Amino acid sequence: MQVSVESAGGLQRTIKVAVPEETIEKVVQNRLQNLTRTVKIKGFRAGKVPLNVVKQHYGKQVRQEVLGEVIQSSFYEAVSQEKLRPAGSPSFDTQQTEAGKGLEYTATFDVYPEIEIRDMSGMTIDKAVCEINDADVDSMIETVRKQQIQWEAADKAAENGDRVTVDFKGTIDGEVFQGGEGSGMSVELGKGRMIKGFEDGLVGIKVDEERTLNLTFPEEYHAKDLAGKPVQFAIKATKVEVAKLPELDAEFAKRLGVADGDLDKMRSEIRANMQRELDSTLKSKVKQAAMDKLLEANKIEVPDALIQGEANHLMNQMGNNLMNQGMKRDQIRLDPSMFSEQAERRVALGLIMAEIVKQQGIKADADKVKSYIDTVAASYEKPEEVVQWYYGDKQRLSEVESLVLEEQLVDWILGQAKVEEKKMTFSELMYPDKV
Amino acid sequence: MSNQERLMKVLLGPHISEKAHQVADQCNQVVFKVAPDATKPEIKKAVELLLKVDVESVQVTNVNGKTKRSRFAMGKRKNWRKAYVRIKAGQDINFMGAE
Repeated sequence: MQVSVESAGGLQRTIKVAVPEETIEKVVQNRLQNLTRTVKIKGFRAGKVPLNVVKQHYGKQVRQEVLGEVIQSSFYEAVSQEKLRPAGSPSFDTQQTEAGKGLEYTATFDVYPEIEIRDMSGMTIDKAVCEINDADVDSMIETVRKQQIQWEAADKAAENGDRVTVDFKGTIDGEVFQGGEGSGMSVELGKGRMIKGFEDGLVGIKVDEERTLNLTFPEEYHAKDLAGKPVQFAIKATKVEVAKLPELDAEFAKRLGVADGDLDKMRSEIRANMQRELDSTLKSKVKQAAMDKLLEANKIEVPDALIQGEANHLMNQMGNNLMNQGMKRDQIRLDPSMFSEQAERRVALGLIMAEIVKQQGIKADADKVKSYIDTVAASYEKPEEVVQWYYGDKQRLSEVESLVLEEQLVDWILGQAKVEEKKMTFSELMYPDKV
Repeated sequence: MSNQERLMKVLLGPHISEKAHQVADQCNQVVFKVAPDATKPEIKKAVELLLKVDVESVQVTNVNGKTKRSRFAMGKRKNWRKAYVRIKAGQDINFMGAE
């Protein structure tokens, strides 16, 4: 077997392989010999067909089959002979397949990049630090209260922030349009959820009061045939309600799941919850930062085949998610190219991390795995069963192990690089979009 | 019917069997199914015309059709005529490749 390698720039390699005729012929003969025992040809009893007749009938077909197999096997042989590490599947181009002349083909594929883990001691990683203070807890309680708002009927003119229940009938040029009629619809004033002017027009309305609103649908209204048209709404208010925030009392605490209604206890519980959330956010932030730096330090070229595979994988995942959310398959328009950037990052990170793990001999620490599972289990009703569930299945366990491994890797990176602490407030950290 | 047209209708097809294969190897003969009224000289000419080989000799035999019984009545397959054609040594006919 003759092998020659050409490097076509970057990570692409083309190898040319020539397989001598004898190797192929031997296999073909062997196959035909086996065929004579089973093959049925008209005019001959089963098993009595002479070899040359079988060859006339099946020779070409068998040779094709054998060629396919020889290409596969010789390719791997050639690759290991040349000490290449192909990434993804190669594309073959056969150049010579004629009987009697042997086989020649070229295979084009990407190889894994050589990764050299660079020293990261020169790098600094920003690590967010944050502590929860009382004000944060207060604002969290306030948010919860707002979520638990209760409406109380009131006999007064509606103001902004109140809720009005109305029957309405919308007409365009005197005719009721589709969906323009309804009763018992509740409108929160000042939220801006209705078309412009609707909520404003309800300010000051009282129970059983009737009003007529002359409005215009906005140009970008979702129903195309209504957009931009003037409309008249005949409205009758059936209920006016005022918002009532729940009092900060034992009742409120009970509703949040503190059985004895102790406010201090509720506070500490909320705080603990926030702390948990904060911890996980901090952790993922640090991890993100560490990974960013890792990528920055080790810029590698990533084989296209791997990126494509990963992009496809991501796309399928996304598609499944969307379908779980109730979208139809044909509604989903996704393309692997949408994910290629993300895929490249993931593949590159994966390669670098694998290399580090190999070089540094990092292994998932059994103790850490156990403590991780314990924390997860703690939030379930029967922790022992959950622990059992994890340890009972190799696959599940290995998932946890890879998580732990990742964590250890982050620790290792943090140990290598300089870490700069950065103070942030709770809301800055948790809701970066709002600040 | 001209001579040529008649010759085109003499040969019905190769007869493939274990025996045919055996005589091909041992006696340099090729076996054909031929028209029931074909004569030896006709067959010789037809083979030489269509297959471009030289024929040494022809032997013919009539094969009786098998009787087949069905649920309702006895049936009989058609009788047919078989020709063993000896080809000049060194020449060869390949049917299967042409099929």
